Amino acid sequence: MNCTEVVTLLEQYVDRELSSEEIKEVQAHLDACPPCLTLFHFEASMPRLVHRACNESAPESLKQRILSQRS
Amino acid sequence: MRYYFYTIPVGVPFTANGRRSRTSGRASIAISQSRQPLPPAEPSFTDDEALQHIDALYRTALRLTRNPADAEDLVQDTYLRAFRFREQFVAGSNLRAWLFKILSNTAISRFRHTSHDRDNTSLDDIEEAALYPQLANGAARLPESAEEEALGGILDIDVRRALEELPEPFKLVVVLSDVAGFSYKEIADMIEVPLGTVMSRLFRGRRILRRALADYARQSGRVTEESAP
Repeated sequence: MNCTEVVTLLEQYVDRELSSEEIKEVQAHLDACPPCLTLFHFEASMPRLVHRACNESAPESLKQRILSQRS
Repeated sequence: MRYYFYTIPVGVPFTANGRRSRTSGRASIAISQSRQPLPPAEPSFTDDEALQHIDALYRTALRLTRNPADAEDLVQDTYLRAFRFREQFVAGSNLRAWLFKILSNTAISRFRHTSHDRDNTSLDDIEEAALYPQLANGAARLPESAEEEALGGILDIDVRRALEELPEPFKLVVVLSDVAGFSYKEIADMIEVPLGTVMSRLFRGRRILRRALADYARQSGRVTEESAP
């Protein structure tokens, strides 16, 4: 794979949506291409930030209310 | 880290920690499929099994509704529907995806009910600058290197605010992917849009988010125009 091909697959790579064969090819390219590796870290940052920022737990009172209304 | 790969057995929709898997599919989300009801003596899932997912549903609902009271209401409604239609769930399939499908459908229905002036399906064809006020002014945009710098010091509260301000169709897909951890195919099945639409909304949603966060950083003085090369 060249840089152009890797860049088009990078978000799917971040999301683990590629085939195992494609993953190997992208990984091999990233190992050898610092600019694409930098871009990979850039693409991976957004979903990671979102996941980190959204970590609330449901109030215990909500669970109790659901259980009480079910019966 | 999201780029940690591991082997997932075929037929197991989710990994042990609930993260996404590419192996699950439409068959695992069967709320709309007609089938013979299970005997009442053999419930397809227990209350405890369903309630294991309440935190993930709640944090998703928080982003979609933007406030705790409405989020609790949405989650409660989701569970009451799930319990009411319990017999429609296929035992052994993906309970988590089934619950999120109910939550997504309920949220979409509510949003359509309260939004009379916008056809959201047309958003896929609109340029990002028209969707997000901060993007309208080209001078406010930062180069990618500055966006990256801005993201380094971004606060969680800014991420949540930017996420909540995304247009609804983009927000739903980004939340289902990046908060709840579902695969493209699971999201496509859940909200009943083509796989390509899911990918397009997800990638565009993230781009809008990134630029919005860079804009927050610029406004707060963490990044200046001069810091960009």
